[in-house]
Amino acid sequence: MISEVDGILVTAHELKAPLAVIRQLAFSLEELKPENEQIRSEMIQVSERAIKQVNDLAKVRRLEDGLFVMEPVSVRAVCNDASKELTRLYKSERKGLSVRYSNRSRLVTANRDLLYSVVYNFLLNAMHYSSDDTTAKLLVSDNKENVKIVVRDYGPALPTDVWRKLKDGYLEEPTSIAMRPGSSGLGLYIASEFSKYMHAKLGAVRHRDGTSIFVELPISKQASLFV
Amino acid sequence: MIFIIDDDVAMARCIARACKGFKSKIYSNAIAAIDATNDRLPKLIFLDILLDGPDGFTLLNELASYPDTCKIPIVIVSSLDLKESDLSSYNVVGILSKDSMTPSDILSYAEEYDS
Repeated sequence: MISEVDGILVTAHELKAPLAVIRQLAFSLEELKPENEQIRSEMIQVSERAIKQVNDLAKVRRLEDGLFVMEPVSVRAVCNDASKELTRLYKSERKGLSVRYSNRSRLVTANRDLLYSVVYNFLLNAMHYSSDDTTAKLLVSDNKENVKIVVRDYGPALPTDVWRKLKDGYLEEPTSIAMRPGSSGLGLYIASEFSKYMHAKLGAVRHRDGTSIFVELPISKQASLFV
Repeated sequence: MIFIIDDDVAMARCIARACKGFKSKIYSNAIAAIDATNDRLPKLIFLDILLDGPDGFTLLNELASYPDTCKIPIVIVSSLDLKESDLSSYNVVGILSKDSMTPSDILSYAEEYDS
């Protein structure tokens, strides 16, 4: 078991090195024609996304060590950062992203980096599966105990088998989403593992014209003492 | 002169290209770089941590051991999650993440320390 686990970390490191080089090589290209600038930009974005996924995969392994500190985190700040980072990518994919907050900007108990990855993975999934010229939605709401982050896309609905597995609040393993082309389910699995670590609950709603994936996080009692 | 110490030669070349207008020399291991400091002291070092053979920390300790080399400014270029507080014993003037650095980040260090 140990060697298998170490193998994941070694593989992650070995994958990251060439991805980082590809990203730097794209930057190194001298002045390009405008049509080739787009190719450079896509090379950088694709390699950055791949680096992020490899980093997340390594973090999944490190969850067992319990090194990710749980602290009061602003959901708005995390959602703002993640959506800002992906807005340009959405545009280049001819898709839109709208963000709406109907919560009271309360703090949750979470790890900032892990929560960022959860939201980032949700938004990346929504971008992949939304049809062209549609607008995915990021909505944050709250109740007495939890803050809920929902990402709604407009593409093929989540298959029922994955939806049922998510009813327990987590995915036990990456689940290939056959009806959603090009998906290994790795992003959703990573989001599930990070959510489990943060005592958050993952879930999904199937729509006729797409899927909403959500995570519910406990409101920070510690921080609420100061509100 | 800038020393770039990285066992990933493709990454080292990218760093060298980013140092436009500055002379640089690439070393793929710590021992070769230490030997080179006997001939000439660089104005700046870009240093990877995970190297073949002795690692970047070994090189940092070696550089910190001598009155002339301990003053060389060092920029760590790594994919490890390092904090400046971990490196406060050395003359580390910056940390760049291989995952997110840009050529202008690299060039700004060259301009600051080798002009």
